[in-house]
Amino acid sequence: MRISVAARRKNALNDLSGYLFISPWLVGFIALTLAPLLASLYFSFTNYDILSPARWTGLENFKKMFFNDPRYWKSVKATLYYAVFAVPLRLGVALAVAMFLNRKRRGIAAYRALFYAPSIVGDSVAVAVMWRQIFGGEGLINACMRLVGLPGKTLWLADPRFAIWTLILLAAWQFGSAMLIFLAGLKQIPSELYESASIDGAGKLRQFASITIPMLTPIIFFNLVMQMINGLIVFTPALIITNGQPLDTTNFYALYMYRRAFENFQMGYASGMAWILMVVIAGLSALIFKTSGRWVFYESEGR
Amino acid sequence: MTKRMTAALCAAAFALMSFGAWAQSSQKVELKIAWWGSQVRHEATIKVIELYQKLNPNVSITYEFASFDDYWTKVTTMAAGGQLPDVMQQDYSRIAEWQKRGLLEPLDSYVSSKTLNLSDVAKPIIDSGRLDGKLYAVSLGSNSYSMMLDVDAFKKAGVPLPAQDWTWNDFEKVAMKIHEKLGIYGIGGGFEVDELAWKSTLLSAGKTMYTADGKNLGYDQSYDRLLVDNLKLLQRLIKAGAAPTYAEYLASFGGSSNNVQLDAIVTGKSAIEAVWSNQVVAVAKAAGPGRNFAVVHLPRLKKGGTPGNFLKPSQFFSVTSQSKNKVEAAKFIDFFTNDLEANKILNAERGVPIAGKVRAALKETAEPVNKEIFNYLDRVSKDAAPTPPPEPSRHADIRNNVYVPLIREQVFYGQITPEDAVKQLRAKALEILLKP
Repeated sequence: MRISVAARRKNALNDLSGYLFISPWLVGFIALTLAPLLASLYFSFTNYDILSPARWTGLENFKKMFFNDPRYWKSVKATLYYAVFAVPLRLGVALAVAMFLNRKRRGIAAYRALFYAPSIVGDSVAVAVMWRQIFGGEGLINACMRLVGLPGKTLWLADPRFAIWTLILLAAWQFGSAMLIFLAGLKQIPSELYESASIDGAGKLRQFASITIPMLTPIIFFNLVMQMINGLIVFTPALIITNGQPLDTTNFYALYMYRRAFENFQMGYASGMAWILMVVIAGLSALIFKTSGRWVFYESEGR
Repeated sequence: MTKRMTAALCAAAFALMSFGAWAQSSQKVELKIAWWGSQVRHEATIKVIELYQKLNPNVSITYEFASFDDYWTKVTTMAAGGQLPDVMQQDYSRIAEWQKRGLLEPLDSYVSSKTLNLSDVAKPIIDSGRLDGKLYAVSLGSNSYSMMLDVDAFKKAGVPLPAQDWTWNDFEKVAMKIHEKLGIYGIGGGFEVDELAWKSTLLSAGKTMYTADGKNLGYDQSYDRLLVDNLKLLQRLIKAGAAPTYAEYLASFGGSSNNVQLDAIVTGKSAIEAVWSNQVVAVAKAAGPGRNFAVVHLPRLKKGGTPGNFLKPSQFFSVTSQSKNKVEAAKFIDFFTNDLEANKILNAERGVPIAGKVRAALKETAEPVNKEIFNYLDRVSKDAAPTPPPEPSRHADIRNNVYVPLIREQVFYGQITPEDAVKQLRAKALEILLKP
């Protein structure tokens, strides 16, 4: 196809004005996202402590990470343990609460607001501090246990068996955003489906298994991916509530990375850790996407 | 908007701008100062800064403060961006690293011109800030680790206060006895937290953790036994209930929160606590009025032997090489060191003042606890191990990634024997130290 010079020039002009319009974003992206991203990739192959220039060390950081840093593997283990329990638990609670709130009754809007409230303060330091009080040696949980005659002397946050579970519980309690998305999804399910199912004699459980869950799979899929990522980069609660202790059982990946970076000033090592984390998250997301064809149901596919 | 209003606004803006230019030309010197510490220190330091500004109206000072760990994150980032404050607090364990990177300004010329007057300071104290023959830092006070004793608890238990040259054996007996009589802990937590057990037992044996060049451990395998013995001693105390388990320490005594209010000795749950001497004041303050405390040397390995104590410059002030007002910065440090009023406000919270006149004046007016510290430092200066060389820059890595997880956690959660832990400590510390 032949395009006249004038038209081509006009096209170029169009392109240019387009780029100009998005230039604030472009500048921001290049300066604040792309450049640091590339810099961290470079740093991951160096020994860099901020104060002196980075020194190229090749694969040294990764070698150390994989073969010579038991704390690294402990942090990997802790993070996976956390994600494996916290993510399904949070999704389960979110779905349950969403179903509870998806009814027509008076004052339901107020209930919704109430149940969403914890998530507004959600990932904040204040909640973490509160959690520390609740599970402290002289905290709420132990006080309640004493009220009903139990010893109530467990040191939840300092006992390697329980510390991580206080954080998992916190995750379950911060269900808000997932719950909201579930709620929106539940509202999309046509009520005719339930009506005809109940005419056919299907009980509540059957309706849940055969209508609600299948119709909700796109939402579950989305929530699963988002929450998995959130679970793998968990940081604040571990820093504030347990400080990674005891015995490194809550020294999550992101926390350990932060420690290496800002307490030991091993920026190169920390950058390497960040890239490994990114690769793992990308890999896991790809895996979920790949399997999604088998279990995610889209109405519009017209099957 | 009318035309006239616009014109008026423009005029106003112009006037403001020119005023700004004028203010700048009046040579207002701007200084920035940064330190770490506790709330007590922040308040006192800010008061001194205000006093300085009042006496020197041409100087305007901004400041930043943080806790120890946050402080280093902050200043390191500042250094990378060329934004370092003019005066920064420095630590004995970090100063070598900063000096090596050329971030600190040598102060010798200011000292010889008496801009920074150190004529009232003993030479060893001045020299603690000397690296490669040049002075890079001025000590803000002298400090030493100590055992803080709750005198009333000792009386109640009928246990005499330990003598200056008590041994670790004596220490164990005292702690056990107090626990037997009163049911409280003999020693509160925190004892195993710092490298105290590691460092002080070596000092007491005439050794140091690292060689002077910081490239190797300063002791051979035959000395590993010292740390093993010390850890075992603590394990015995914990088993007997005379010291809190590490979990109890974490959960109940502010382990990770650094909250003095929760210290076992403050809440009366323990009769002894290992603290840096400059922190004694804060701990006593948290305990409130009506309590009596004494301070004694760390126990030593054998009677009449070298103590595990050494005299440490608590922290320093340094002028950074990125400062634009180095002379003014030096003047401020001079004020901080020699001014009597300023030091009355600071109240020896950074350690016993280094200037002789200031020290003498403060000692006279001091409250009982402060007096105890002054006397303690006098005793230590006559009976201490030689001050070990500053820790090498790799010490932070060894401490955070080897010592703490291994000794502090695995040993006290019973996951590993002291023997194995100490063996691993040596191997892994060497690995970090010997890395090119």
